[in-house]
Amino acid sequence: MNAALARGLGGGVLLLVLWEAVVRLAAIPPWILPPPSGIVATTWSARGPLLDAGAMTLFEAVTGYGIGAVLGLVLAMLLALATPVRKLVLPMVVVVNSVPVAAYAPLALLWFGTGALSKVVMVAFIVGFTVFLNALDGLLRVDPAAVALLRSFGAGPLGVLWRLRLPTALPAIMVGMRVSTVRSMIVAIVTEMLGSQKGLGWTIFEAVLQIDFLRVWAAILVASLISLGCFAAVSALERRVVFWR
Amino acid sequence: MALLRLVLPLLLLAALWEGAVALLQISPFYLPPLRQVLGAIWALGPAYAQAFMVTLGEAVAGFVVGGLVGVVSATAFHHQRWLRDMLFPLFVASQTVPVIAFGAIVVLWFGNTLLAKAAIAFYLTFFPVTVNALAGFEAVDPRQVALLRSFGASRRDIWWKLLLPSALPRIFTALRLSAGLALAGAIVGEWFGASIGVGAMLLAALFNEQVVAMWAAILTAAAVGGAIFGVVALVEARLVFWRDEL
Repeated sequence: MNAALARGLGGGVLLLVLWEAVVRLAAIPPWILPPPSGIVATTWSARGPLLDAGAMTLFEAVTGYGIGAVLGLVLAMLLALATPVRKLVLPMVVVVNSVPVAAYAPLALLWFGTGALSKVVMVAFIVGFTVFLNALDGLLRVDPAAVALLRSFGAGPLGVLWRLRLPTALPAIMVGMRVSTVRSMIVAIVTEMLGSQKGLGWTIFEAVLQIDFLRVWAAILVASLISLGCFAAVSALERRVVFWR
Repeated sequence: MALLRLVLPLLLLAALWEGAVALLQISPFYLPPLRQVLGAIWALGPAYAQAFMVTLGEAVAGFVVGGLVGVVSATAFHHQRWLRDMLFPLFVASQTVPVIAFGAIVVLWFGNTLLAKAAIAFYLTFFPVTVNALAGFEAVDPRQVALLRSFGASRRDIWWKLLLPSALPRIFTALRLSAGLALAGAIVGEWFGASIGVGAMLLAALFNEQVVAMWAAILTAAAVGGAIFGVVALVEARLVFWRDEL
């Protein structure tokens, strides 16, 4: 384990050193590829506005994530109980889901304006879909013999859902939630780039217009750090909730 | 029968769309009637066909390279433990980078070409394939490998005849996910100055606040996604013919 950790860190350091060396030796202009040291320096000197923008994006992502995760989970539980409705609805859900979320972003902007609401709606939409599909898959993938056993002891559909389906589905639900974390940041940033007055996506858009590519890289760095933090938090939660894995 | 299962949800969705607009009197600002959207596509048929082809090409280019790189790096990680320890964390970290933010930089590097969009599509596709292929390789029973080896099979034989077929179902699961991601990458890549393609159409519709054109572009995106998805499913049915027995 420790050897793996050392190699992982070594790989990261090696990449950074290589990047820095190539940029310096080949004298690559910073607008094509700035050195890591330059990106860190720019991030530090612009930390005030970057943190403000990051806080805005994080707020949109977390709010949308919470709403989407709850909605996705509740819908999955409802459809797990109602088999006829599920057979009708599920194929249509798959069709709607086959369009990449990014394509809906202009629509959300037109409907909900360029404020935070359109971003929250978009994030809730993508997170809701991911959690819904994962949760439904988990809820339905139970041993029929276990269902029959619970039934024979007098459990109703709700009892089966609560005592059997939900615990069985937990790993799948947590996978959906973990995958969603990174996507929620990406979707918030994409929607911000298309139309907003605040946030990291807006920072990136503005920096591109001003041909300030160091600031683009700095914003990407901040966004990546936030994503990584959210990812680590949800992964830790996953280990807690699905302790038997 | 299979065709029916494909067409039925589409028809149902179309009926629901038209019915809801008529019955609930939804404002065309939110949801124009479906026939109006289809009419818009019909009226500008060649333009939509061109956007379809361009975006399809970008997404498929990134998707195919991403799939290949995914399988190759999974093979390397499977055989060389140290390589896996060293690079896999970087692969994971790379996926927390909001790639879309890179769009502007990638376009700066490659210009406004097919390559720029394909590069973004590639970045989104290779990771799921790497993860699933690696999981597939690792799940192979070592006794089967030992058996093949005892019969004198070379590494290459073992890969072709045991490792790859065993991992194929999982690889295709990842490919189906990646198909959608590749399309998303191509569409967003077009937002940085491209003039043709589904993404460019979406952007133009947004700036002109044309809801009908926006829905027409969304339907075109769905058609591109459906086309890629359909081909992947067909290839999967041919290659993983034993899937239903799993």
